[in-house]
Amino acid sequence: MEEVDRILIHSLRPAGTAVPPEVQSVRDLTPELVVEASVRCLRAVNPTLGAPLSPLLPPGISARFRLASDLAAACQELGFGGDVGYQTFLYSSEHDTRRLLLFLVEKLPRDESESGAEPPGKSGALLRAIGTRIREQLGVPWVPPLCRTPLLQRLQVSGAPPPEYVGRKRLRARLRALEPLRQACPPRPPGPPLDPAWLQEAFGAGGGRGALPKGSRFTHTQHLTHEQVRGWTWGAGGGGFGDTGARQASEEAALEQALAQLDAAIESCRGEMRDAQLSLTQVEAEVQQGRLALGGREDALRLKHQAIELLPDAQSNMAKLQLVVEASGRRIVSLAGQWERHRGPLLTQYRHLRALRDSAQLESSRRLSELRVLHERSRSAAAEAQRKEELYKTLVAELEALPRDVSRAIYTQRILEIVGNIRKQKEEISKILVDTRALQKEINSLVGKLERTFSVTDELLFKDAKRDEVVRKAYKYLAALHENCAQLIRTIEDTGTIQREIRDLEEQIEAETSSKPPASLERILSDCRALREENAALAARPRR
Amino acid sequence: MAEPEPQLLLAVGLIEKDTNGDALWVWCYPSVTAELRSLLLRKCCLTDENKLLHTFVFGQYKRSWFYITTVEVQDSPALKKVTHFSIVLMAKDFNPEKYAAFTRILCRIYLKHGSPVKMMESYIAVLTKGICQSEENGSFLSKDFDARKAYLAGSIKDIVSQFGMETVILYTALMLKKRIVVYHPRIEAIQEFTRTLPALVWHRQDWSILHSYVHLNEEEVEALKACTGYIAGFTDSEVNSRPDLYDVYVNLADSEITVSPLVKEAMTMGKLHKEIGQLIVQSAEDPEKSDSQVIKEISLKTKEILATLASLTEASDGNEKPTLNSEALKQKRFPPATENFLFHLAAAEQMLKI
Repeated sequence: MEEVDRILIHSLRPAGTAVPPEVQSVRDLTPELVVEASVRCLRAVNPTLGAPLSPLLPPGISARFRLASDLAAACQELGFGGDVGYQTFLYSSEHDTRRLLLFLVEKLPRDESESGAEPPGKSGALLRAIGTRIREQLGVPWVPPLCRTPLLQRLQVSGAPPPEYVGRKRLRARLRALEPLRQACPPRPPGPPLDPAWLQEAFGAGGGRGALPKGSRFTHTQHLTHEQVRGWTWGAGGGGFGDTGARQASEEAALEQALAQLDAAIESCRGEMRDAQLSLTQVEAEVQQGRLALGGREDALRLKHQAIELLPDAQSNMAKLQLVVEASGRRIVSLAGQWERHRGPLLTQYRHLRALRDSAQLESSRRLSELRVLHERSRSAAAEAQRKEELYKTLVAELEALPRDVSRAIYTQRILEIVGNIRKQKEEISKILVDTRALQKEINSLVGKLERTFSVTDELLFKDAKRDEVVRKAYKYLAALHENCAQLIRTIEDTGTIQREIRDLEEQIEAETSSKPPASLERILSDCRALREENAALAARPRR
Repeated sequence: MAEPEPQLLLAVGLIEKDTNGDALWVWCYPSVTAELRSLLLRKCCLTDENKLLHTFVFGQYKRSWFYITTVEVQDSPALKKVTHFSIVLMAKDFNPEKYAAFTRILCRIYLKHGSPVKMMESYIAVLTKGICQSEENGSFLSKDFDARKAYLAGSIKDIVSQFGMETVILYTALMLKKRIVVYHPRIEAIQEFTRTLPALVWHRQDWSILHSYVHLNEEEVEALKACTGYIAGFTDSEVNSRPDLYDVYVNLADSEITVSPLVKEAMTMGKLHKEIGQLIVQSAEDPEKSDSQVIKEISLKTKEILATLASLTEASDGNEKPTLNSEALKQKRFPPATENFLFHLAAAEQMLKI
């Protein structure tokens, strides 16, 4: 049992109950601790239920009762099936307290970091690191920058830039703004620091032109060209205006004439050009034709030359030629046949080899794709291995980060031992059950046997009973015997039942004795006395 | 024909597509240059990715014509590893019907025997005697296929019914030896259309301007550019963005004719053109008239124009060819568009004085 208690108390601590280290079992828990533990668990399980309850037991007795009954009601609302009331908290028995606390601890929400729902790996570790960092910073109150200790300065980095940087920046901006103003202003006469007249002049310089002088390159060029044009016109116009009209007219006429002449020349040139172009194409075509005709004619000439050579003996030559033609035709066909004997097998061989190569290529490409698949698989396996390695590393890190004092393995081992014991007990129980069942069976069969024996005997005796007096007596005795035996069996059974009841009662008594009735009785009595005193005091108050 | 038929056949080749999916140039007689081989592999539909089968295509490259017939092989015992094959004929003349018939015969022979030797016999027979026996029935006689027939094989009426009055643009472009590019995604449509176009200038009887199947390949484009005036067919719509290749662009699929801005001036249309256009349309729409009659009528009109032009020429200093007297042309006071057309026509007909 103490193992269970130790686990229970260990799990109460994270819920916020400061259980002193000397407390090792539920028996050692004071009512204050029980109340605090229950309230804190309630708050963790269901904040709306637990919030109105105070974890500290108030000094006033009636207040204590109220708190205890509220707590009991809250527990019942949470679904606690057992018997619970104010006495569970104030006059706790070890058994009830353990049941209640076990119930509450089971209801406790699982801590995130223990649940394993969180994804392991790098991102998980990072998130956790961020979380701890934020929690750490939230825990520290904000302190003005000047009052920070070095650690705090590191923690609370201010967003504001350093003051010297701000100063530099401001100075630069001011200079930049001042520069155009200074250029626009007339130089300030030495004298009193601000002469109103000078000021007006200074502002007028900017305002008069509407803006500060800022000419684009375009306006500049425009300006220049304007001036040039003006100069040129003046220069031209400088010749005098006297007899210009007549001269202009004649000049114009002459120019127009020249223009017309030039136009005509251009037109004729164009015509000539076109003609030349056409001539060129014609000549090109002619040349091409000529060249072709030449080729044809050369062939014809050669043919005719040969024909003339053969002409003197035309008849015989014709016959000869015919023969030659036929013979060469035959020869060519036979040559083709010979060639075919070489060509055919070679072509077949080529096709065969080509097919082989194709199939080899197909095979190799299949192999290649297979290889690629394998490669891919190996790569993915490597990645998987790496991932697992990382997972292993993070898990190891996590394991190292876990508090050393919780020797989980020992607990697990003990739990396993307990489970083993339970299993052993269960086995024994089942063995006993089997025995009981066998016994029951035997009893049943015996009863049946008896029943049958009796009925047979009864029948036999009954037959003879009418004739024989002795037999009649025997029959009576038999009936009596049977009845008495039945009664005896019933009595034995009743005894068994009563014995069982007695055992139950004894157990109950033992339980009651174990729950320290004399101590709680004393406490109840003292509380009762205190209550009476309080009541009396309260009753006295209005009277005063 | 009084003159013996000149040797027109140049070469025969064989392209096979096998079960490996390769289109291979497997056999030829006589030798064919590597440049031409790659060109013919490009032309035969076996190297195409889209796997469309064109049974017969023809075209011209550097003044020699190629004719390709492609056959699919279906459970032939002689050709086990071959799925398709193409017979390629190179010849000097334009005659699709003749060479289609001949290549078909060669195809049947090869399909049956699976050996080029039998094909070779037929080829030599046609080369030396102009005749060969077909596998099934009858025989192929080279003389049966007249060049004139080939020139008249296309239907000019179809062209006019598709383009109407705009046919006169094609007529003008052909008369002035301009460069015409025809686009259609289907090679058969291009071939049918382009082979008919030279009939509009029947007086020249020149089918060498026809390049009915050109790829936008560097060598082919260079060879095409070396010609003065041509009709080129492309299945690649990319050709639209090559204005250096055409003066007149015909989008056959959308029935659109575009005149390049560079030749707008030379191709200015006037009253004369309207006249010709009306004549063409009227003649072609007459159901009584055959295609050859329509061509004849157009040819008559052309001759009329050429006669007008001839009247303005003079035989000059010992040159056997008469040359155009541009002064006389100007004195005639034709409308400017007509004068312009006549002048350009004179250049096309090589009648300018140089």
